[in-house]
Amino acid sequence: MKNLSRVFRAIHTSARLKSIDIFIVAQLVIPLTILLIFLLLPLGSLLYKAFTGSEGFTLNNFKELFSDPRMVASHPKLDFVDIEESYIFRIVNGTRVPVKVITINIGVHGPDFGIIFNSLFVASCVAVIDLVLGVSAAFIMARYDFPGKSVFRVVILIPMLATPFVNAYVLGKVFGRGGLINYFIHNVLGIKNVVVCIGGLPLVILVQSLSFFPIVYLNAYASLINIDPSLEEQAENLGAHGFKLARTITIPLAKPGIVAGTLVVFILSLEDLGAPIGIQGAFGEGLHNKLISFFIFDEFKKTRGAVAPTTYALAVFLLLIAIAVFLAVKKYVSLKQYAMLMKGSRFNLRIKRPKRKGLIAIYTFLIPLALSASFPQIGVIVLAFSDWAEKTLPSKFTLEGFISLFRKGEVVTAIRNSLTYAISATILIIIVGSGIAYIVSRTAIPGKDLIDAIATMPLVTPGILVGAGYIVFFSTFFSHTVLDPFFHPGTLLIFTFTVRRLPFALRAIFAGLQQTHIHLEEAALCLGATRARVYTTIVIPLIIANLIGGALLAFVYCMNEVSTSLMLSPLQSSQGTITFLMSEFITGAAVGVITITAALGVILMLLQITAITLSNRILKQRIAFLGV
Amino acid sequence: MVNVRTENITKRFGKVVAVDHVSIEVKHGELFTLLGPSGCGKTTTLRIIAGLEKPDEGRVYFDDIDVTHVPPYKRNVGMVFQNWALWPHMTVYDNVAYGLKIRKLPKDEIDRRVKEVLRLVGLEGLEKRYPHQLSGGQQQRVALARALVVEPRVLLLDEPLSNLDARLRIRMREEIKRIQKKLGITTIYVTHDQEEAMSISDRIAIMHRGKILQIGTPEYVYKNPANLFVASFIGRSSSIRGIVRHVDGVYATISIGSQNLKGKIASRYPVREGDEIVVVVKPEDVDIDGKENCVEGTIVSKHFLGFVRQIIVNVENNRISVFTEPDRDFTEGETIRICIDESKAFVFHKKELVEIGLEELV
Repeated sequence: MKNLSRVFRAIHTSARLKSIDIFIVAQLVIPLTILLIFLLLPLGSLLYKAFTGSEGFTLNNFKELFSDPRMVASHPKLDFVDIEESYIFRIVNGTRVPVKVITINIGVHGPDFGIIFNSLFVASCVAVIDLVLGVSAAFIMARYDFPGKSVFRVVILIPMLATPFVNAYVLGKVFGRGGLINYFIHNVLGIKNVVVCIGGLPLVILVQSLSFFPIVYLNAYASLINIDPSLEEQAENLGAHGFKLARTITIPLAKPGIVAGTLVVFILSLEDLGAPIGIQGAFGEGLHNKLISFFIFDEFKKTRGAVAPTTYALAVFLLLIAIAVFLAVKKYVSLKQYAMLMKGSRFNLRIKRPKRKGLIAIYTFLIPLALSASFPQIGVIVLAFSDWAEKTLPSKFTLEGFISLFRKGEVVTAIRNSLTYAISATILIIIVGSGIAYIVSRTAIPGKDLIDAIATMPLVTPGILVGAGYIVFFSTFFSHTVLDPFFHPGTLLIFTFTVRRLPFALRAIFAGLQQTHIHLEEAALCLGATRARVYTTIVIPLIIANLIGGALLAFVYCMNEVSTSLMLSPLQSSQGTITFLMSEFITGAAVGVITITAALGVILMLLQITAITLSNRILKQRIAFLGV
Repeated sequence: MVNVRTENITKRFGKVVAVDHVSIEVKHGELFTLLGPSGCGKTTTLRIIAGLEKPDEGRVYFDDIDVTHVPPYKRNVGMVFQNWALWPHMTVYDNVAYGLKIRKLPKDEIDRRVKEVLRLVGLEGLEKRYPHQLSGGQQQRVALARALVVEPRVLLLDEPLSNLDARLRIRMREEIKRIQKKLGITTIYVTHDQEEAMSISDRIAIMHRGKILQIGTPEYVYKNPANLFVASFIGRSSSIRGIVRHVDGVYATISIGSQNLKGKIASRYPVREGDEIVVVVKPEDVDIDGKENCVEGTIVSKHFLGFVRQIIVNVENNRISVFTEPDRDFTEGETIRICIDESKAFVFHKKELVEIGLEELV
């Protein structure tokens, strides 16, 4: 008895010292450290750089930024369309005759509001277009049943398969001077002296709208199928129907998902490098490059990190927009629900079979949407398997691009690099993600919501800013260590992948924990298992499917990560990733590299299809993810 | 076996006081029940004893040893959860053996004890089944076996029968009582079902709004409710509002509208002439053939319950439930005289109504 009481007293004191036990502390400290060092401090150092001058705190960098005519055009060009006349000589009956050629330029020479407003203009247009496209498509898919629905369901998600740069390049090849449109005008319509050229901001808007609309679609769809039908039936019972019903009940109920999706599209457009670089590959430099994202990327690349103070101010400007959007999204709907997961719903949905008129309306909307949505990806495949890169029209089948993947040393290195980074990052993501998910769903630690918010923030934090922050922070504080961006960008890429792709795995794990009743763990605690033991014997076996599913998704999204790869890889190109190499190839001049890039795009698509199919099967639910 | 004692334990969730200075003492081998409506704090109290929650104030003792800060996995308590919390990825055997493996017992010892406990709960031969292959009653037995196999110092049961259908519930509660007595294990049982609590417990504690209102044997509490809440919660009691006309020792004459009724003062507050009071009566204590202490009312409704016929009588706008022989029939709207044994009509001061927030209920 005496012994026992001594033991208890010892336990008593030690338990008091560790009122939170070691296991929880580890679950908390590791993720927090990683998020602090590899997300918050780098972003913070951008703020520091932007707000300090030679004499401490200053706003001069911002003043200078906004008075820079490159940033904010003093005389913005507003004309969308201009017509050029030129003469070419053609031989008619043996004599050279001047023939007038009319070139209709759409967007090539305008509008141009300066870099800052160009970006905001593009992002706003993309958000509005995708809002309309996404919500309409979601409404049709959620509420109607019609022949071919299952085909459309798949096809309109094709843009989610990221093929960095190549999809934009394909559209450039269609709308450019020597592109498909003009081939059609000259050879099919027979009009020889008219050239139509679409480029600049309108083309960026087109490319991005097509890539991003599934995000609004998926969020709106998830919201719509989660509406309890009885809510709408009650309204109908009270006399509301048709448009009135949609306006007063359906849309307000689905609003959180729709708003969140649209806001995310806005940010994705602002930070996108794929469209400007891909179009540059087809057109050369032009107005499509006059965007915030491209400017920051280009400055950092050209100066190897030694950018002008105004560039930091520009980065911070972008960061502030991202934070504002993040808070707005948080306010509207917790990212928890939104980042993933449209579960099959539990009620019988209100699905109508439209009559003839309705069917015509549905197809009139869906068929063009499906065709244009899938076109870039189909184009990538054609590009990879043919000689289209060199010709106006593809003329022969070839496997050149794929064969070169194994022959060209730099391609092999890039693939090996990407695999190494993605696998290492996935392991870290699972460790960090399961820690955070466990803390957030199972403990009452003060500030856990903040941890959750920080871990989710990368969803809307532009990758170029994370990359820029890394260059500043790690070159300052970790110079000549394994984290020095100038010597070991590869190491940093592992961590940036970890942080940026964390939200995807986090949500998958979180979903698993939510489906597992906490009593299952408490029962083990009562039987004498320590927290760590409970975690390994009860929690992990119960959520293993979610861990694997989350890991698969994290892995593919690491493989096709663009923005930080492009920021960090140029510092030591032998450590570059696949996406970096693709950007180099697409804007470079070497023969045959476009086909190789397209082949890489096809490989990335295959990886994504495999991972998403597997993970959906493992998680036994349809999950909608952001393809960032 | 131990003696479990809590000393003024208090737990707040934000502004809500879930457990409010609860002090109980459960003796060696006793089956003690925390009884109360949902949200009264009984489950939280149990979780504090298990170590799953830390009290904001107060202490928990096992045999006079302070275990307030001992983590759950070092307390050696057996807990059965409301949803049984069987691990779906483990067989019956693995579920039950889990605690023994944690204690690093040799394999044959584990085998022996798992077998023994499965025999005790009547589940021999189901070792290899998974929880989803078992019926509700079987799952409940697995949960009990898993808690018992580690020979816990205390057994804690959190509404273990609420997921079972009515008939099985009665059988299982007898089973639990049998096993508990056989092992002589100190047990704390949480339920909102008063019949279950009455039938199974050595002693019960009635909880409301985080506080213990009365502790005693089921029979004592039933017959001597300490306050208005206990009186109206236990049994299928009716309450009658009235004003005191005359006080005579422990008895008071009450005027209910134009009629008079005598009752026994049970209130903690002094009851004087002119006070507003509430009289609580159980349906079985009302007699329609009596001679003394009678009031008149009209029959509002009648319900055939099988073993009795219940009639609801309106007396001066108070609805009183009465049990009569099942064979006797009545007409709705009929005038009837009902008589109440004055020692079984409990009189409480109206203050108690406000105090326990039951104004709307009574």
